[in-house]
Amino acid sequence: MARIGITTTIPQEIILASGSVPVDLNNIFVSSENRESFLARAFRDGYPRTVCPWIAGIYGTILETGSVDLLIAVTQGDCSNTHALAETVEDIGFKVLPFAFPYDKNPELLRAEMEQLAQKLGARWENILKWFEKLRNVRSLCSRIDELTWRENRATGFENHFWLVSSSDFWGDAGAYEKGISRAIADIEARKALREKIRLGYIGVPPIFPDIYDDVEKMGARVVFNETQRQFSLPYPKNDFVSAYSKYTYPKSVFTRIDDIKREIARRNIHGILHYTQSFCFRQIEDLLFRRHLEIPILTIEGESSFEMDERTRVRLEAFIRMLEDRI
Amino acid sequence: MKELIGIDLGSRSVKMAIVRVGDAIEYFIYDTSLFYNRFGSPSSEGFRLDLEKFGVSKDAKIRATGYGRNALNIADAEIIPEIQAHARGAIFQTGLSDFTLIDLGGQDSKIIRIAGREIQDFYMNDRCAASAGRYLENMARILGLTLNELSEFFENPEPLSSTCAVFGESELVAKMAGGVEIAKLAAGVNAQIIKRFAPQLESKPPGRIVLVGGVAFNGAISKLLAAKYGVPVIIPERPQYNGVIGLIAV
Repeated sequence: MARIGITTTIPQEIILASGSVPVDLNNIFVSSENRESFLARAFRDGYPRTVCPWIAGIYGTILETGSVDLLIAVTQGDCSNTHALAETVEDIGFKVLPFAFPYDKNPELLRAEMEQLAQKLGARWENILKWFEKLRNVRSLCSRIDELTWRENRATGFENHFWLVSSSDFWGDAGAYEKGISRAIADIEARKALREKIRLGYIGVPPIFPDIYDDVEKMGARVVFNETQRQFSLPYPKNDFVSAYSKYTYPKSVFTRIDDIKREIARRNIHGILHYTQSFCFRQIEDLLFRRHLEIPILTIEGESSFEMDERTRVRLEAFIRMLEDRI
Repeated sequence: MKELIGIDLGSRSVKMAIVRVGDAIEYFIYDTSLFYNRFGSPSSEGFRLDLEKFGVSKDAKIRATGYGRNALNIADAEIIPEIQAHARGAIFQTGLSDFTLIDLGGQDSKIIRIAGREIQDFYMNDRCAASAGRYLENMARILGLTLNELSEFFENPEPLSSTCAVFGESELVAKMAGGVEIAKLAAGVNAQIIKRFAPQLESKPPGRIVLVGGVAFNGAISKLLAAKYGVPVIIPERPQYNGVIGLIAV
């Protein structure tokens, strides 16, 4: 079975219907004990120091691990650094297929893009739809973890992050993932509710330092909303294959994301927002739009290539949480 | 009643205040590296402060803040985040309820908006010592001035492009070689301090400004701030001890 690398969430059903396994290279990179050496490889080959470490890390992961046979690069709806990533691996003989999320919300354009990818991978449409139905149950378990986080207050911010971020490829083994998440749900359901004073929302790409979640909890707050990770789990159970992916907000305009975030802030009783951005990322510009449109205190956090949260961020985070405590 | 000790562990200096019943408050300031060498020792749980060296009893109440406070292990110390310590210190020192607090330290700059004696919003520089004391120190050295001399210049500032505490040096050297007067360059250096945090300060009208931190001793900066924004700039009696005063004023 071929292993197909992805640079961000794409309709994984197309890969599965072609008889291949999806591999989210972000997750392989960040959870590998050799992640530093993947970055070092990229810089040695000439990647600039001022490039997002997710891009450099994926490049290094592909070359150093040989973990995938083919790369699907998202060329629209994510950052344009992905173009250069695709070109630099293609140049050394690696097979790359592009996938573009239309910026426009038109589902017809998205469907055309999906069909094109299906044709290139040799996946039949009816099999794709079968996989979508098969994954419905697993995705409903993701929704359950989310509910246990914000409605029942039993799951931690990290548990929410971990299970939802993994839904971009379900570990390349949806069966194993389903067993894992079911066990986690049973454990969490048996717990008493958590009682922190401050409820935070986390928006932006997943953090390069996931220890942020535990640190937030040590400071008397908890993340009860992970925007992008939740989107990876495609939380649109009533939609069909194409319309669910056309609702998926991550590759869309920031205004679509703002609508989704506003709804969740109200529903989850969130006191403050952590906006995580990666150094040198275009999303740092969008920070001003979140500040302009979300009427809630926002702390912008910047991650670079350290896999543990730095002291400076910890100081700012603590001051932010204390400020929110003084307000409620 | 026990003694109360406030410690602000800054990047360049450690500020302390000791409050004893019936006595005036004593203030101390030490170079950060000297402080770590002289007044404590590393232990398995982190840095342990030797209280006896300050003539204070072992059960003295301690409050700590500042960049280094998480690395310091002091038994039973109450830790207060810098933003809160500075806000309290400035409210206590000035008696004001509504103002914009600017703290310019060795490697830090912070802007804290206070309304009704509560923190509304704050900004803290991230990963870069531009527009902080370290920048002034480096630039004064290149210009051959003391920090006091540097603080006299605020007229006709030479436009400079770099706010970086390292790259700023080569820009100054090039300008000096090009014949620009030292007075204009010194005023330019002082103006750079404001340029760096101006976008954050201007995102909302600053109103009254309270300026604290070691950089508040640079009179040119308060003059430039007042002229640029047309607002009063208040420097409390002990700008450098503002964080520590916030700790003992609770």
